[in-house]
Amino acid sequence: MDLSRRRFLQTAVLTAAGAGLTAACGGGSGSSGSKDSKNLKFWYWAGGLSDKVVADAKTHFSDATLKTSVIGGDFKTKLLTGLKTAQTSPDITGVKGEDIASLLPNANRFLDLKTLGMDKLAPDYLSWKLKQATTQDGKLIGFPIDIGPCALFYREDIFAQAGLPTDPAKVSAQLSTWEAYFDAGVELHKKVPKSFLVNNIGSVFSMAIGQGTTRFIDENNKFIGDQDHIRTAWDTAVKPYTLGIDAKINDNTWNAAIGNGTLATELGAAWHALDISNATPGTKGKWRVASLPSGPSNLGGSFLALPATCANPDLAFKVVSWILNPENQARGFTDAALFPTTPAAYKLPALTGGDAFFGGQKTIEIFGPAAEKIPAAYEAPADAAVSVAYFNELTSIEAKGKDPEDAWKDAVSQAKQIAQRQGVK
Amino acid sequence: MSSSPVAGSAATGPPSGPATGSGGRHATDRRRGPGRPARRIRPVSSGARPGPRRRRARYWPQYLAISPYYLIFSVFMFFPVIYTIYLAFQKWDGIGEMHYVGFQQFRFLWDDPVFWLSIRNTLVIWVLATAPMLFMALILAVLVNSTKRFTSFYRVALFIPSITSLVAIAIFFGAIFSNNFGLINAVLTGLHLGAVPWLSNEWTIKLVIAALMTWQWTGYNAIIYLAGLQAIPSELYEAARMDGAGPMRIFFSITIPLLRPIILFTVVVSTVTGLQSFTEPQVLFGSDASTNPNSGGPGQAGLTTLLYFYHTAFDTNDFGYGAAIVWAFFLVILLIVLINWGLVQRKERRP
Amino acid sequence: MNRVDRKRFRGLSVHVVLWLCVIISVFPFYWIVVMATNTSQDIYSYPPKLWFGGNLLTNIQHLFDKMDFFGSLLNTVIVAVCTTVLVLLFDSLAAFAFAKYEFPGKKLLFGMLLAMYILPTQLAIIPQYEIMVQLGWLGTLKALIVPACANAFGIFWMRQYTSSGVPDELLDAARIEGAGFFRQYWHVVLPCVRPALAFLGIYTFILSWNDYITPLVMLVDPSRLTLQVALAQLYAGHSTDYSMVMSGVLLAVIPLVLVFTFFARGFIADATKGALR
Repeated sequence: MDLSRRRFLQTAVLTAAGAGLTAACGGGSGSSGSKDSKNLKFWYWAGGLSDKVVADAKTHFSDATLKTSVIGGDFKTKLLTGLKTAQTSPDITGVKGEDIASLLPNANRFLDLKTLGMDKLAPDYLSWKLKQATTQDGKLIGFPIDIGPCALFYREDIFAQAGLPTDPAKVSAQLSTWEAYFDAGVELHKKVPKSFLVNNIGSVFSMAIGQGTTRFIDENNKFIGDQDHIRTAWDTAVKPYTLGIDAKINDNTWNAAIGNGTLATELGAAWHALDISNATPGTKGKWRVASLPSGPSNLGGSFLALPATCANPDLAFKVVSWILNPENQARGFTDAALFPTTPAAYKLPALTGGDAFFGGQKTIEIFGPAAEKIPAAYEAPADAAVSVAYFNELTSIEAKGKDPEDAWKDAVSQAKQIAQRQGVK
Repeated sequence: MSSSPVAGSAATGPPSGPATGSGGRHATDRRRGPGRPARRIRPVSSGARPGPRRRRARYWPQYLAISPYYLIFSVFMFFPVIYTIYLAFQKWDGIGEMHYVGFQQFRFLWDDPVFWLSIRNTLVIWVLATAPMLFMALILAVLVNSTKRFTSFYRVALFIPSITSLVAIAIFFGAIFSNNFGLINAVLTGLHLGAVPWLSNEWTIKLVIAALMTWQWTGYNAIIYLAGLQAIPSELYEAARMDGAGPMRIFFSITIPLLRPIILFTVVVSTVTGLQSFTEPQVLFGSDASTNPNSGGPGQAGLTTLLYFYHTAFDTNDFGYGAAIVWAFFLVILLIVLINWGLVQRKERRP
Repeated sequence: MNRVDRKRFRGLSVHVVLWLCVIISVFPFYWIVVMATNTSQDIYSYPPKLWFGGNLLTNIQHLFDKMDFFGSLLNTVIVAVCTTVLVLLFDSLAAFAFAKYEFPGKKLLFGMLLAMYILPTQLAIIPQYEIMVQLGWLGTLKALIVPACANAFGIFWMRQYTSSGVPDELLDAARIEGAGFFRQYWHVVLPCVRPALAFLGIYTFILSWNDYITPLVMLVDPSRLTLQVALAQLYAGHSTDYSMVMSGVLLAVIPLVLVFTFFARGFIADATKGALR
């Protein structure tokens, strides 16, 4: 490969020019002083909103340009990076349910939706969900997209094989507690050896934690992750492992497993239905939904927020409130399994109709009552970081056969350390 | 490739005057084997020695020449490294205010079992990958060197893995080592050997990551050794054979000593890159995003120190602690490089 | 077996071993093509399909729906080319100064380089990130190109080659004719160090093309990613269409392999030449 010097110099100059040019293009449209730009950058993740609703929003607000970006990978990291400068910051952004708590201490980076008209709309939306996005001094930074009422998804054909009831009402009645659920699991695994009850014990732990009214840190910023309520959730989670009904799936093989019958049930929120149907369209009609053993729980449920650098707050708020009005939230449910946050939507036909993926079952009959009884728990900003320790230790049990007692001790001590580093007492 | 850069110490040669690359001479000596100093012709002095102020001004072209590099270097490498030390004494979430906390982050580090786990993981993976890899690379180089036909083809084919995108290969390895549908398990099951939970067991996870690194770099190091082997004059081999030395004797008494600088270079480079594995575990196990992101897989078996750093800084927004991790880790790397250095050097002293 | 036979046997077994290694080196590419041309269901099935299917175009179409392939490819090319050219320029200039000249502070400056050589880039990444924010370069390609120019290996490599590969007689001759530093660089040094430049160029290009952590940290907007980050994002997350991801892997890997095989002979020859100095 021969490089003539002249070509070298030419390339160098062109490069420098090109770099300068792309840099200029990379600058993006910085917003000027007045907040009335008609171009809005809109970020969300795949499955975070119904793509059809978003597409309709673009036509509905025809005099504005909505530039949407579906961001993959670690959304929170990308959002925090984007928030650093005005040029890279979006004007409307999704915020995942598990991240909202950690953003509240930096609420000044977002606009208070109450000043844009949310105070009038607030009564129409679930108050406990609004509370999740409200700071201690009353600033509301997130408009709720969906909630995650949890349920038990099960394969009715595998249940039939194992001699278990298949009708959702009967399943809900029989598998009404964790013990009953695990007993059924043992039965099932005996009769259908290649099927397991749960994909991993982390999912059981998530459910159990969500069923309580307190989590890892209390409202006085004190660490409570070593107390009974967590311990009980832990013990519940470890049970399937000791009973041998845990499939121990912690990676991408979940896609294959869910399709080939390795997993007979899945514990998850309403939005998890989308994950299942995307991963295994071939099992359409074989899944049903029953109520979660031992009571309702909430997992996830995201928000739309407006960063403080938003180019046009009024327009952005109009877009957001339109996308999240009852009709569109109902469409979100049918398109993307996003359970609405406004009770007005629960009576709409989109919600009350049957779901073909679940064999025509009217899933609102499970999710509706579950949504009403969700216990509200305080989630501290450091909660997500602290909970990581528990999940890591649970996978350790599955991966190394670690003794559950040792794992518990390690989880608590690590959680305490993380809490300390995050400034929790 | 050049011999180890650390060999080229700039501290030799006359301090002023237009002498040239004395450091280079050092390294070149090594290249040509013991007992053969290179001959260097000093260029004509470009003029009488001027006074101090004018001397400095006289060197403006050199300063100009090195300035673009050093400008970028100081702004983007040197200064940040110093700043990271400063950051290690703060508590900062990346978006709010910084608080000075003294040595607290380092105290946390000392007590943090996950940090020590990550160090253990990193070391184990590094040993599993580097030692067999360098050994195999040497063998491969000897083999290729002995061939007369296909030589170019072998060189190209063996080199190709090292230019492949690590992300792509990590995804590929994730697919073939998958517990439920991977090719490897399919083959094992076909041979009635039973499937292995490659990506769920703590040891096999490390094996998979090490296999990834080995696959990617063995050919590359083999080509480097090959270049070195081809520099050894065949007369040495002839002479040794005439003295009755067998292939083993030749290998250990002639080949290895002459390859020593290259071996040193590859050991240092493999150490530094091997200890910094980040992409492999991040891509392989990044899928469990919601509950424990970037945790290095089940049991955190694949959690290398750099991955832990990334998780601490960007997932839990604890940048001060992240800075402490990365600095402590650098000291570990330094220690290991020095140990490796000593090991390879010491063997040379033995008669 | 007599001596000739034994020799032939040894020769043959060498080739057998080498071919085995070649197969191990090259097998993944074959398997990637297999996975990329079949469907995800085929990939999940047992026994696995061993031959190519016909699904490549469908997979690629899904890929283009989910990911801005050509956009990220272009970005990657821009970053790699710019980085390479700048590195070649800056490093050869600085190497010339270090290799053939003495000047005050040279030892100190070179020593700094040495120290920085073993520092992992991750040590600098958080402040680099902040600097990018201050400069307004966050999320742009400049954030990837400029820091990559501070690669110590390049200087060592060029300095080594320059000091032994550029004959002093030529430099003296140029000086006698009144050529200053930069003229000497242009007319004498550059032609002499061409093989080293070629090697460094390809090396830098590949390094830049395959870089993952820097773009992961610096880039945000999905319409402005590099190939590696876009590919990794494709893979993460629960619902993964494996065959689509594999088609992405295939497309990400092919350009470099093709380019490299084309230049390979020269590349390895240059590496050898450089190593021998």
